[in-house]
Amino acid sequence: MINTEGMVAETATKIYTDLCAREVPHEAEAGKYPQALWDALTENGLPLAWVSEANGGFGADYDETFGAIWASAQAASPVPFAETLIANWMLDRAGLAPADGSASFALSGHTPSADIPFGMHADKIVLFDEAHHEISLFDNRAAVRSPEESLSPDGMTQFIFSGHVVEQSAKTDISRRAIEALILTVRAVQMAAAMETALNLSIDYVCQREQFGRPLSKFQAIQQQLAVAASECAAATMAATQAASAIARHADDPEQAWHEAVIAKVQIGHSVEAVTEPFHQVHGAMGYTQEYDLHHYTRRLWAWRDALGNEFHWSKRLGEELALTSPDQIWKGVTTGDWTGGKVVAS
Amino acid sequence: MQRFNFPVVQPDPALEELRSELQAFLKEEREAGNYRPEPECWMASADPEFSKKMGKRGWIGLTWSSQYGGHDKSALERYIVTEETLRSGAPVGAHWIADRQHAPMLLAHGTEEQKLDILPRIAAGECYFAIGLSEPGAGSDLANVKTRAEKVADGWKINGQKIWSSGAHISHYMVALLRTSPADGRNRHVGLSQIMIDLSLPGVTIKPIVDLSGDAHFNEVYFEDVIVPDDCLLGEEGGGWAQVTGELAMERSGPERFLSSYITLETALWQLSDKMGSDSHARLGKLIANLSTLKGMSWGIANLLSQGVSPETEAALVKDLGNRLENDLTQQVRAMLNDLPAEDWSPDMRRIMNIGVLRSPPNTLRGGTTEVMRGITARQLGLR
Ligand SMILES: Cc1cc2nc3c(=O)[nH]c(=O)nc-3n(C[C@H](O)[C@H](O)[C@H](O)COP(=O)(O)OP(=O)(O)OC[C@H]3O[C@@H](n4cnc5c(N)ncnc54)[C@H](O)[C@@H]3O)c2cc1C
Repeated sequence: MINTEGMVAETATKIYTDLCAREVPHEAEAGKYPQALWDALTENGLPLAWVSEANGGFGADYDETFGAIWASAQAASPVPFAETLIANWMLDRAGLAPADGSASFALSGHTPSADIPFGMHADKIVLFDEAHHEISLFDNRAAVRSPEESLSPDGMTQFIFSGHVVEQSAKTDISRRAIEALILTVRAVQMAAAMETALNLSIDYVCQREQFGRPLSKFQAIQQQLAVAASECAAATMAATQAASAIARHADDPEQAWHEAVIAKVQIGHSVEAVTEPFHQVHGAMGYTQEYDLHHYTRRLWAWRDALGNEFHWSKRLGEELALTSPDQIWKGVTTGDWTGGKVVAS
Repeated sequence: MQRFNFPVVQPDPALEELRSELQAFLKEEREAGNYRPEPECWMASADPEFSKKMGKRGWIGLTWSSQYGGHDKSALERYIVTEETLRSGAPVGAHWIADRQHAPMLLAHGTEEQKLDILPRIAAGECYFAIGLSEPGAGSDLANVKTRAEKVADGWKINGQKIWSSGAHISHYMVALLRTSPADGRNRHVGLSQIMIDLSLPGVTIKPIVDLSGDAHFNEVYFEDVIVPDDCLLGEEGGGWAQVTGELAMERSGPERFLSSYITLETALWQLSDKMGSDSHARLGKLIANLSTLKGMSWGIANLLSQGVSPETEAALVKDLGNRLENDLTQQVRAMLNDLPAEDWSPDMRRIMNIGVLRSPPNTLRGGTTEVMRGITARQLGLR
């Protein structure tokens, strides 16, 4: 289970409960940005959770910060909370000060532009340039921002790096795999939380809605669909929790958690279809409306599934690496979670 | 709120020595030609000689005390033994059920004499048990059992029939769910009891049933005026239903629910080595992600069980997900093997793949069907 105890997780949960009620994500989509929610998160220093104390943050445990991310995804957070956490963590890993305001991230090096999640709302963009082992901070407000096609209500923009002045930049010794491990784990936690929230919505709905003189929940066909979805949700939470706990265990070297993070991305990405289909099915036409909440979760699940590479991309990468190790090492990984013995040189 | 209770428990490095010992032993046995690896080995692959060797090494009866021939080890050590024997497709079918299910049952409900007599024999790999739940008219609807045990002067008199009893033909005992008093019209769960039956008693007839893979590991078992002594009633008279439900939680979450066909994948990996294409890489990546996740869930439950918590719904979830994965694994490996010309498959690969295909239907049946598992989950979700 994701750890939802501890000060960071509990503070975030309280803020999201108080300031991100049901109408907030709806209003955000209609153009009313929930500034009060963002301000409360900032005033409590939450976007600095993963910034070291020396750098002005409070070096919180990975573990309970994942609990905060869980809460934000459950509330369909319309502010870039998880993105800012990641961006500030990247800056910190290059010894740079955290971003002033909200931030999003990009991994690049070879391409002049990148897709930026939450690009319309992020104040800053943090770029990891793999080729030069550099982390740089850009001002997003100064850029021309227009929304790109995106499945997510959080939106996405393109950012063209050339022609923009770097605000800060520094060399880093962190690897692409370490950054991938953290980002994929954050996404896994968000996806598991979104799945579970959508499951809960579906359960409530079928218990209330009556057809043929009884609640939908009493029909075995409905029960069986939701039982399958529930098992996928339970697996998603397990995969996300395993990845989160691997990051926490390898706090000094997140690259060590790469396999668990990829496993979570693959496991959960493949489950998206298996849960979104029944969730929409049991809701009937209601689930297809803007007015109802379900789409806050299912649209994000569809978007996160594709972000940074879809389930096929990551299944293939994981399989390719494993194929280079021995079957004995694969067994060792499955049974003991120790994937490092057969470590392959990073691509 | 998180709905299900699956703690993440890191594997314990202290257990890894045991794992290495098992791996060495299994490799030696396999290379000596003492067994041919098979999928579903815990059901269909029984070899009493092999069971005795496992017993000699101390790998059966790990969890009970030495007073009863056990080894005072933890359920987690037992889990490692289970994993490693499944991985290598070893012929563990003879002792599996007694070790997993009936020894704990006897410890909880047996008399001192029974414990002293039977448990050391189970631990030695010399005494086997069959599960007597199903009847021709009682499959998923288990409360419909009709086989009767009637109180007589010196014990119980049993009449009726059980079916699908795995391993009954080589077993010494069966623990059967029997009707000891008539069903109450409203509550069919009352009046059922668990009784241990010595299968060598007069009046017991065992007829093997050949399955579609050509094996004959399960059986019809008939009881005609079979008399067992009083102390063969396990637990409370009339308490059979609750006892069986508790037992099933233990039965449903173990590694045999998702690793039964792992041998198929591993054999293919050795075959394919550097010949795998990108489609196969993607299939492998997905299978490993699924396996690691299920291992996490099953290991989480094993840890809860070792603390005395018995999560029935979580166990049903693991069984449902695990059974789907087992069948998917065989299908995915079949597709991966397209990277090799059929004539390059080793004879072992061919044999194991064929067995895997033929033995896939029972995964989603035995131990409770998929539909029944989903019913348990639905109840937990508040839908029933
Ligand atoms: C290899 C193997 C080994 C076995 N070993 C043993 C053993 O050792 N001891 C033992 O006692 N039994 C054993 N069994 C029996 C096993 O437990 C039963 O097969 C199982 O419980 C299902 O019962 P059934 O076969 O009568 O199917 P049925 O109960 O007739 O079910 C047929 C189909 O209908 C579905 N169905 C039934 N009721 C419902 C419902 N209410 N709602 C929706 N769908 C429903 C089922 O899910 C299934 O898909 C074994 C079975 C196999 C295949």
